[in-house]
Amino acid sequence: MIDKTAYRQAMDLSDEQLLHYNAQIMLPEIDVSGQQKLLAAHILIIGVGGLGTVAALYLAAAGTGQLTLADPDQVELTNLQRQISYNYAMQGEAKVNACQKTLNALNPEVSLATIESSLHGELLERTISQADIILDCTDNLKSRFEINKTCFKYAKPLVCGAAIRWEGQLSVFVPADKDSPCYQCFHNPDSRLNQSCSANGVLGPVVGVIGSMQAIEAIKLITGAGELLIGQTLLFDALSLQWQTMQVSPRTGCEICGQRV
Amino acid sequence: MKITLKCFAFLAKHLPVYAKKNAAEVELQEGTSVNNVIDMFQIDREDAYLVILNGVFVCGEDRDTTLLNEGDTLALWPEVAGG
Ligand SMILES: [Zn+2]
Repeated sequence: MIDKTAYRQAMDLSDEQLLHYNAQIMLPEIDVSGQQKLLAAHILIIGVGGLGTVAALYLAAAGTGQLTLADPDQVELTNLQRQISYNYAMQGEAKVNACQKTLNALNPEVSLATIESSLHGELLERTISQADIILDCTDNLKSRFEINKTCFKYAKPLVCGAAIRWEGQLSVFVPADKDSPCYQCFHNPDSRLNQSCSANGVLGPVVGVIGSMQAIEAIKLITGAGELLIGQTLLFDALSLQWQTMQVSPRTGCEICGQRV
Repeated sequence: MKITLKCFAFLAKHLPVYAKKNAAEVELQEGTSVNNVIDMFQIDREDAYLVILNGVFVCGEDRDTTLLNEGDTLALWPEVAGG
Protein backbone atom coordinates (compact mmCIF):
# COMPACT_ATOMS: atom_id res chain seq x y z
CA MET A 1 0.00 0.00 0.00
CA ILE A 2 1.15 3.51 -0.69
CA ASP A 3 1.46 5.92 2.17
CA LYS A 4 -1.52 8.18 1.64
CA THR A 5 -0.44 10.96 3.92
CA ALA A 6 2.87 11.31 2.16
CA TYR A 7 1.10 12.12 -1.05
CA ARG A 8 -1.93 14.00 0.11
CA GLN A 9 -0.75 17.57 -0.17
CA ALA A 10 0.84 17.22 -3.55
CA MET A 11 -2.14 15.95 -5.40
CA ASP A 12 -5.82 16.03 -5.95
CA LEU A 13 -6.61 12.36 -5.76
CA SER A 14 -9.30 11.37 -3.29
CA ASP A 15 -8.78 8.62 -0.73
CA GLU A 16 -11.02 6.39 -2.79
CA GLN A 17 -8.99 7.06 -5.93
CA LEU A 18 -5.77 6.32 -4.08
CA LEU A 19 -7.19 3.00 -3.00
CA HIS A 20 -8.80 2.21 -6.34
CA TYR A 21 -5.62 2.76 -8.37
CA ASN A 22 -3.21 1.78 -5.60
CA ALA A 23 -1.65 -1.12 -7.49
CA GLN A 24 -0.50 1.03 -10.38
CA ILE A 25 0.30 4.15 -8.32
CA MET A 26 2.77 1.92 -6.46
CA LEU A 27 4.72 1.53 -9.68
CA PRO A 28 7.39 4.25 -9.58
CA GLU A 29 7.04 4.83 -13.32
CA ILE A 30 3.39 5.78 -12.82
CA ASP A 31 3.12 7.16 -9.32
CA VAL A 32 0.53 9.80 -8.40
CA SER A 33 1.55 12.07 -11.24
CA GLY A 34 1.00 9.30 -13.78
CA GLN A 35 -2.41 8.57 -12.31
CA GLN A 36 -3.33 12.23 -12.59
CA LYS A 37 -2.30 12.16 -16.24
CA LEU A 38 -4.46 9.09 -16.79
CA LEU A 39 -7.43 10.75 -15.10
CA ALA A 40 -6.98 13.73 -17.42
CA ALA A 41 -6.56 11.72 -20.63
CA HIS A 42 -9.01 11.24 -23.46
CA ILE A 43 -8.57 8.05 -25.49
CA LEU A 44 -10.50 7.23 -28.64
CA ILE A 45 -11.11 3.54 -29.33
CA ILE A 46 -12.14 2.91 -32.91
CA GLY A 47 -13.81 -0.47 -33.11
CA VAL A 48 -15.10 -2.24 -30.02
CA GLY A 49 -14.70 -5.81 -31.22
CA GLY A 50 -12.12 -8.33 -30.05
CA LEU A 51 -9.30 -5.82 -29.61
CA GLY A 52 -11.34 -2.79 -28.58
CA THR A 53 -13.39 -4.45 -25.85
CA VAL A 54 -10.26 -5.73 -24.14
CA ALA A 55 -8.33 -2.47 -24.44
CA ALA A 56 -11.40 -0.55 -23.23
CA LEU A 57 -11.80 -2.74 -20.14
CA TYR A 58 -8.18 -2.23 -19.09
CA LEU A 59 -8.18 1.48 -19.84
CA ALA A 60 -11.43 2.04 -17.94
CA ALA A 61 -10.13 -0.02 -15.03
CA ALA A 62 -6.94 2.05 -15.01
CA GLY A 63 -8.93 5.24 -14.55
CA THR A 64 -8.64 6.88 -17.95
CA GLY A 65 -10.52 10.16 -17.67
CA GLN A 66 -12.47 9.90 -20.88
CA LEU A 67 -13.03 7.10 -23.35
CA THR A 68 -14.78 7.57 -26.66
CA LEU A 69 -16.02 4.35 -28.25
CA ALA A 70 -16.90 4.14 -31.93
CA ASP A 71 -18.44 1.16 -33.72
CA PRO A 72 -21.42 0.76 -36.08
CA ASP A 73 -22.29 -2.84 -35.17
CA GLN A 74 -24.63 -4.68 -32.83
CA VAL A 75 -23.65 -7.46 -30.46
CA GLU A 76 -24.08 -10.88 -32.06
CA LEU A 77 -23.79 -14.35 -30.63
CA THR A 78 -20.62 -15.03 -32.65
CA ASN A 79 -18.92 -12.01 -31.01
CA LEU A 80 -19.17 -13.48 -27.52
CA GLN A 81 -16.33 -15.97 -28.12
CA ARG A 82 -13.80 -13.10 -27.85
CA GLN A 83 -15.46 -9.70 -27.31
CA ILE A 84 -15.47 -9.85 -23.56
CA SER A 85 -17.18 -6.58 -22.73
CA TYR A 86 -20.42 -8.22 -23.88
CA ASN A 87 -22.61 -10.90 -22.40
CA TYR A 88 -25.31 -13.19 -23.61
CA ALA A 89 -28.15 -10.83 -22.71
CA MET A 90 -26.63 -7.99 -24.73
CA GLN A 91 -27.23 -9.62 -28.12
CA GLY A 92 -28.87 -7.16 -30.50
CA GLU A 93 -27.76 -4.07 -28.59
CA ALA A 94 -25.51 -1.50 -30.19
CA LYS A 95 -21.95 -2.49 -29.29
CA VAL A 96 -21.05 0.99 -28.14
CA ASN A 97 -24.02 1.07 -25.75
CA ALA A 98 -23.36 -2.42 -24.42
CA CYS A 99 -19.67 -1.61 -23.96
CA GLN A 100 -20.57 1.63 -22.22
CA LYS A 101 -22.76 -0.28 -19.76
CA THR A 102 -20.01 -2.75 -18.94
CA LEU A 103 -17.35 -0.05 -18.54
CA ASN A 104 -19.63 2.11 -16.44
CA ALA A 105 -20.26 -0.81 -14.09
CA LEU A 106 -16.52 -1.48 -13.92
CA ASN A 107 -15.54 2.12 -13.25
CA PRO A 108 -18.26 4.79 -12.96
CA GLU A 109 -15.56 7.45 -12.71
CA VAL A 110 -14.68 7.20 -16.41
CA SER A 111 -16.49 9.61 -18.67
CA LEU A 112 -17.79 7.64 -21.65
CA ALA A 113 -18.85 8.92 -25.05
CA THR A 114 -20.20 6.71 -27.81
CA ILE A 115 -20.48 7.01 -31.57
CA GLU A 116 -22.67 4.35 -33.18
CA SER A 117 -21.16 4.70 -36.61
CA SER A 118 -18.16 3.91 -38.76
CA LEU A 119 -15.75 6.80 -38.57
CA HIS A 120 -14.84 8.25 -41.93
CA GLY A 121 -14.14 11.63 -43.47
CA GLU A 122 -15.18 14.66 -41.51
CA LEU A 123 -16.53 12.69 -38.54
CA LEU A 124 -13.27 10.77 -38.26
CA GLU A 125 -11.26 14.00 -38.43
CA ARG A 126 -13.34 15.74 -35.78
CA THR A 127 -13.29 12.73 -33.45
CA ILE A 128 -9.56 12.18 -33.77
CA SER A 129 -8.76 15.87 -33.34
CA GLN A 130 -10.59 15.86 -29.97
CA ALA A 131 -8.74 12.88 -28.48
CA ASP A 132 -5.25 12.63 -26.99
CA ILE A 133 -4.50 9.10 -28.18
CA ILE A 134 -6.16 6.88 -30.75
CA LEU A 135 -6.45 3.09 -30.62
CA ASP A 136 -7.05 1.46 -33.96
CA CYS A 137 -9.04 -1.67 -33.16
CA THR A 138 -10.79 -1.96 -36.52
CA ASP A 139 -11.02 -5.04 -38.68
CA ASN A 140 -10.33 -3.70 -42.16
CA LEU A 141 -7.47 -2.14 -44.10
CA LYS A 142 -9.50 0.71 -45.56
CA SER A 143 -10.28 2.09 -42.11
CA ARG A 144 -6.71 1.50 -40.96
CA PHE A 145 -5.26 3.61 -43.77
CA GLU A 146 -7.73 6.43 -43.19
CA ILE A 147 -7.15 6.43 -39.42
CA ASN A 148 -3.37 6.46 -39.97
CA LYS A 149 -3.62 9.38 -42.37
CA THR A 150 -5.87 11.38 -40.06
CA CYS A 151 -3.72 10.75 -36.98
CA PHE A 152 -0.70 12.11 -38.87
CA LYS A 153 -2.73 15.11 -40.06
CA TYR A 154 -3.64 16.00 -36.47
CA ALA A 155 -0.34 14.78 -34.97
CA LYS A 156 -2.05 12.26 -32.66
CA PRO A 157 -0.28 9.15 -31.37
CA LEU A 158 -1.79 5.98 -32.80
CA VAL A 159 -1.68 2.53 -31.22
CA CYS A 160 -2.45 -0.02 -33.87
CA GLY A 161 -3.45 -3.58 -33.04
CA ALA A 162 -4.46 -6.36 -35.37
CA ALA A 163 -5.22 -10.04 -34.98
CA ILE A 164 -6.48 -12.89 -37.11
CA ARG A 165 -6.40 -16.68 -36.80
CA TRP A 166 -3.45 -17.34 -34.41
CA GLU A 167 -1.53 -14.17 -35.30
CA GLY A 168 -1.28 -10.72 -33.85
CA GLN A 169 0.48 -7.47 -34.63
CA LEU A 170 1.16 -4.35 -32.60
CA SER A 171 2.59 -0.96 -33.66
CA VAL A 172 2.78 2.52 -32.19
CA PHE A 173 3.05 5.55 -34.44
CA VAL A 174 3.95 8.94 -33.05
CA PRO A 175 3.78 11.69 -35.68
CA ALA A 176 5.86 14.08 -33.57
CA ASP A 177 8.74 11.58 -33.45
CA LYS A 178 10.91 11.72 -36.58
CA ASP A 179 11.95 8.09 -36.10
CA SER A 180 8.37 6.92 -36.17
CA PRO A 181 7.14 5.37 -39.39
CA CYS A 182 3.42 5.23 -40.16
CA TYR A 183 1.10 2.35 -40.97
CA GLN A 184 1.39 3.03 -44.68
CA CYS A 185 5.20 2.77 -44.61
CA PHE A 186 4.86 -0.99 -44.55
CA HIS A 187 1.31 -1.76 -45.59
CA ASN A 188 0.11 -1.71 -49.13
CA PRO A 189 -3.08 0.27 -49.74
CA ASP A 190 -3.69 -1.89 -52.83
CA SER A 191 -3.56 -5.12 -50.85
CA ARG A 192 -6.21 -7.64 -51.87
CA LEU A 193 -6.59 -8.57 -48.28
CA ASN A 194 -9.55 -7.57 -46.25
CA GLN A 195 -9.67 -9.70 -43.20
CA SER A 196 -12.45 -10.12 -40.77
CA CYS A 197 -12.18 -12.43 -37.81
CA SER A 198 -15.64 -13.81 -38.55
CA ALA A 199 -14.55 -14.87 -42.03
CA ASN A 200 -11.05 -16.11 -41.17
CA GLY A 201 -11.42 -17.30 -37.61
CA VAL A 202 -9.48 -16.10 -34.59
CA LEU A 203 -8.67 -17.44 -31.17
CA GLY A 204 -10.17 -15.26 -28.43
CA PRO A 205 -7.05 -14.93 -26.26
CA VAL A 206 -4.99 -13.87 -29.30
CA VAL A 207 -7.06 -10.70 -29.71
CA GLY A 208 -6.98 -10.44 -25.91
CA VAL A 209 -3.17 -10.40 -25.89
CA ILE A 210 -2.96 -7.71 -28.57
CA GLY A 211 -5.80 -5.61 -27.10
CA SER A 212 -4.07 -5.77 -23.71
CA MET A 213 -0.81 -4.64 -25.27
CA GLN A 214 -2.59 -1.72 -26.94
CA ALA A 215 -3.77 -0.70 -23.47
CA ILE A 216 -0.20 -1.00 -22.16
CA GLU A 217 1.19 1.25 -24.87
CA ALA A 218 -1.63 3.78 -24.38
CA ILE A 219 -0.89 3.96 -20.64
CA LYS A 220 2.83 4.42 -21.39
CA LEU A 221 2.07 7.17 -23.90
CA ILE A 222 -0.02 9.01 -21.31
CA THR A 223 2.24 8.56 -18.32
CA GLY A 224 5.59 8.69 -20.10
CA ALA A 225 6.60 5.39 -18.50
CA GLY A 226 9.16 3.17 -20.17
CA GLU A 227 10.02 2.97 -23.82
CA LEU A 228 7.43 3.00 -26.54
CA LEU A 229 7.30 0.61 -29.43
CA ILE A 230 8.44 3.21 -31.93
CA GLY A 231 10.09 2.19 -35.19
CA GLN A 232 9.22 -1.41 -34.49
CA THR A 233 6.29 -3.69 -34.98
CA LEU A 234 5.72 -6.72 -32.80
CA LEU A 235 4.48 -9.84 -34.49
CA PHE A 236 2.97 -12.70 -32.52
CA ASP A 237 2.47 -16.28 -33.67
CA ALA A 238 0.39 -18.05 -31.03
CA LEU A 239 0.70 -21.47 -32.65
CA SER A 240 4.41 -21.56 -31.89
CA LEU A 241 4.13 -18.94 -29.13
CA GLN A 242 6.85 -16.84 -30.72
CA TRP A 243 7.26 -13.09 -30.91
CA GLN A 244 9.27 -11.27 -33.53
CA THR A 245 10.33 -7.65 -33.58
CA MET A 246 10.41 -6.02 -36.98
CA GLN A 247 12.27 -2.75 -37.38
CA VAL A 248 10.57 -0.29 -39.70
CA SER A 249 11.98 3.11 -40.60
CA PRO A 250 9.91 5.94 -42.03
CA ARG A 251 9.80 5.12 -45.76
CA THR A 252 11.35 7.74 -48.00
CA GLY A 253 8.62 9.32 -50.04
CA CYS A 254 5.77 7.95 -47.89
CA GLU A 255 2.81 10.12 -48.83
CA ILE A 256 1.53 10.10 -45.23
CA CYS A 257 4.56 10.55 -42.99
CA GLY A 258 7.18 11.72 -45.51
CA GLN A 259 5.95 15.30 -45.35
CA ARG A 260 7.04 15.97 -41.78
CA VAL A 261 9.52 18.80 -41.37
CA MET B 1 25.85 -20.10 -48.74
CA LYS B 2 23.54 -20.91 -45.88
CA ILE B 3 20.77 -18.73 -44.49
CA THR B 4 18.03 -19.31 -41.92
CA LEU B 5 14.53 -19.15 -43.35
CA LYS B 6 11.66 -18.59 -40.94
CA CYS B 7 8.02 -18.83 -41.91
CA PHE B 8 5.24 -18.00 -39.48
CA ALA B 9 1.53 -18.72 -39.18
CA PHE B 10 0.09 -20.55 -42.21
CA LEU B 11 3.31 -19.98 -44.17
CA ALA B 12 5.06 -22.50 -41.92
CA LYS B 13 3.87 -25.37 -44.12
CA HIS B 14 6.21 -24.14 -46.89
CA LEU B 15 9.32 -24.82 -44.83
CA PRO B 16 11.40 -27.96 -45.47
CA VAL B 17 10.28 -30.97 -43.42
CA TYR B 18 13.36 -30.78 -41.19
CA ALA B 19 12.36 -27.29 -39.97
CA LYS B 20 12.10 -26.79 -36.22
CA LYS B 21 10.32 -23.97 -34.41
CA ASN B 22 9.38 -22.31 -37.71
CA ALA B 23 13.01 -22.14 -38.86
CA ALA B 24 15.20 -24.06 -41.27
CA GLU B 25 18.73 -23.62 -42.48
CA VAL B 26 18.67 -23.57 -46.28
CA GLU B 27 21.42 -23.59 -48.89
CA LEU B 28 21.27 -20.86 -51.54
CA GLN B 29 23.37 -19.85 -54.52
CA GLU B 30 25.17 -16.53 -54.49
CA GLY B 31 23.05 -13.73 -55.90
CA THR B 32 19.72 -15.09 -54.65
CA SER B 33 17.20 -12.32 -53.99
CA VAL B 34 14.46 -12.20 -51.37
CA ASN B 35 11.81 -12.79 -54.02
CA ASN B 36 13.82 -15.73 -55.40
CA VAL B 37 13.62 -17.39 -51.99
CA ILE B 38 9.89 -16.74 -51.72
CA ASP B 39 9.36 -18.30 -55.17
CA MET B 40 11.73 -21.17 -54.47
CA PHE B 41 9.61 -22.30 -51.54
CA GLN B 42 6.41 -21.91 -53.56
CA ILE B 43 5.02 -19.16 -51.42
CA ASP B 44 2.55 -16.76 -53.01
CA ARG B 45 4.33 -13.38 -53.00
CA GLU B 46 1.19 -11.71 -51.66
CA ASP B 47 1.01 -14.19 -48.80
CA ALA B 48 4.57 -13.26 -47.81
CA TYR B 49 3.21 -9.86 -46.85
CA LEU B 50 5.82 -8.90 -44.27
CA VAL B 51 9.40 -9.75 -45.23
CA ILE B 52 11.98 -9.30 -42.49
CA LEU B 53 15.71 -9.61 -43.20
CA ASN B 54 17.85 -9.76 -40.07
CA GLY B 55 15.05 -8.07 -38.13
CA VAL B 56 14.47 -5.24 -40.62
CA PHE B 57 11.40 -4.86 -42.85
CA VAL B 58 12.07 -5.16 -46.59
CA CYS B 59 9.49 -3.28 -48.65
CA GLY B 60 7.89 -4.68 -51.80
CA GLU B 61 9.98 -2.66 -54.26
CA ASP B 62 13.25 -3.89 -52.74
CA ARG B 63 12.51 -7.60 -52.74
CA ASP B 64 14.00 -8.27 -56.20
CA THR B 65 17.15 -6.27 -55.57
CA THR B 66 17.87 -7.30 -51.98
CA LEU B 67 20.30 -10.24 -52.14
CA LEU B 68 20.88 -12.76 -49.37
CA ASN B 69 24.24 -13.18 -47.68
CA GLU B 70 25.77 -16.04 -45.72
CA GLY B 71 24.32 -16.19 -42.22
CA ASP B 72 21.26 -14.03 -42.93
CA THR B 73 17.92 -14.70 -41.29
CA LEU B 74 14.92 -14.16 -43.52
CA ALA B 75 11.49 -14.24 -41.87
CA LEU B 76 8.14 -14.23 -43.64
CA TRP B 77 4.77 -13.37 -42.12
CA PRO B 78 1.31 -13.16 -43.63
CA GLU B 79 -0.73 -9.99 -43.32
CA VAL B 80 -2.68 -9.40 -40.12
CA ALA B 81 -5.42 -6.77 -40.26
CA GLY B 82 -8.41 -8.20 -38.38
CA GLY B 83 -9.61 -7.10 -35.04
ZN1 LIG C 1 4.69 6.49 -43.64
